[in-house]
Amino acid sequence: MEALVSRALSKTYRGSRGTVRALDAVDMSIAKGRLFAFLGRNGAGKTTFIKIATALLLPTSGTVELFGVDVVDHAREVREQIAIVPQEGKPFYHLTPREHIVEYLRVRGATGESAKNRAQEVLQGMGLVQYQDIPAMVLSGGLQQRTLVAMVLATEAPFLFLDEPTLGMDPFARRQVWEVIRRAARKGSTVLLTTHYLDEAEQLSEELSVIEGGHVLYQGTAEALKSKVHLEIRLQFEGGFTTQELASYGQVFTEHGRVTLLTTRGRVPELTQRALERKTAINVGPVTLEEAFLTLVGRTIEDEDAEAAP
Amino acid sequence: MSWKTQANAIWRICYFYGFLALRRAPLLFIAIFLTPLSFLFFLYVVAPHSALPFGVVGGILFSALFTGNGMMNDCAYLRLERQLQQVFITSPLRPMSWVLGMALGELAWTIPALALFIFVLSLIVSLSPIAVLGLIGVVLLTWLLATSLGFLISTFFRQLREIWPIGTVVFTSLSVLPPIFYSLAAVPERVRWAAFLAPSTFASQLADRVAGLPVTAVPAIPALSSVPFEVIGMVALTILFTLMAMRLARWREP
Repeated sequence: MEALVSRALSKTYRGSRGTVRALDAVDMSIAKGRLFAFLGRNGAGKTTFIKIATALLLPTSGTVELFGVDVVDHAREVREQIAIVPQEGKPFYHLTPREHIVEYLRVRGATGESAKNRAQEVLQGMGLVQYQDIPAMVLSGGLQQRTLVAMVLATEAPFLFLDEPTLGMDPFARRQVWEVIRRAARKGSTVLLTTHYLDEAEQLSEELSVIEGGHVLYQGTAEALKSKVHLEIRLQFEGGFTTQELASYGQVFTEHGRVTLLTTRGRVPELTQRALERKTAINVGPVTLEEAFLTLVGRTIEDEDAEAAP
Repeated sequence: MSWKTQANAIWRICYFYGFLALRRAPLLFIAIFLTPLSFLFFLYVVAPHSALPFGVVGGILFSALFTGNGMMNDCAYLRLERQLQQVFITSPLRPMSWVLGMALGELAWTIPALALFIFVLSLIVSLSPIAVLGLIGVVLLTWLLATSLGFLISTFFRQLREIWPIGTVVFTSLSVLPPIFYSLAAVPERVRWAAFLAPSTFASQLADRVAGLPVTAVPAIPALSSVPFEVIGMVALTILFTLMAMRLARWREP
């Protein structure tokens, strides 16, 4: 069964400076119980999609259904099934992490006892126990973000929308949050996650979607995305080569002063031979999700630029 | 969610946003009654002492009216800056339960100021228990009207910086310019009716009556200063503003 289905979903923002088409006929579906990542550059349309799906924003056209219920016409029914971590949300300044979780659960209908027990469980899972009785105003930005995420994940709502939930968190905290997200998914919640950390998307998601300029470019697994770009090997050259001379082998870019080439398996022996002749060290590895994402989105941008050129 | 669960949710919001905040930041308590107390002090120094009871009643109504200003700023802040309104309404909680919880939270902050002013009033005029109940009734209607208006306005803004001047203009116009801190008698007879363009004048007239203060007639339209008109006017305006908040508030961005 599908937990979320969008059909021809479009959103155009109209302002004094003109119109911006944030979503353009987006068709997307997320199966029930799936941990789904939504990837895209800043301004690609991810947050607009989430706002529409959570009944916080009206679409210009198209539909979104959550568990078969239309989001625009039946916002109340939809809201009963969801919880959201908004992008750049912040907790109340005067409440402690424990109070945030307990009060939010109680507002959502939990009894005092069950809210307290659940809060303890989530505080433990999120590594917040030692901060549980400190008002949020004196916590660091990362701990405040963890508090907000804990409050929402504690609900175990049937559908969890997490818009960049680990923004500003250290790597340890991110991993703790991942585990709590996985636990929620194991218990049956469907999770839609947006993130700019591609390793996070790769670690967490069972399926992902890439959006650019309001269009969905890809929906499928991370592995399938990597194979879709047809470049499976990453070679990093420690000098000795220019981007121009490698351009014919695949996708070339410079990263931290090193030339990186994404290419096919068949080209590796020839390139290795050339590197040996030039006494240049190379690192060889599989293409990461981040590189596949950059390649997919990068091609689209180049195509759009080429079309826009006179 | 059942009505009982919604009611419990409203109380929880009032508790953690009103009472808990007040307990943790007692300066809020001082900040809330400082402005009306300053007006009162000013009246005490410059006006004849017969004007003092009007000033105290003004302090009560000012405190109730300024819950609207607080509501406007807090709701805008929680929606635009903290995004917590989004977190709360994307849940089984009804949006209007969120508003009512917040409005009660604003009232909770005002309770100490209201208690202080009612106590001061009881020192300078003879207040029966019925009169105190009457005053509380007027305060509740004023609070509901003001917070409905404050919330409604808050939903139309996308930037916090835009909302602050609006609050000053709207709630100062409602609480300082109309005859709240002074008697309607101070308004020239010819334009006295115009004072009733402000909903707060109805509240003020009613509160003055309940407190046993002399109420001024409006010769141009005598019905304006009658008890039924004031009661019906106040209740009708409160219902109107509440319905406007329920119907016109933007829960979803267009």
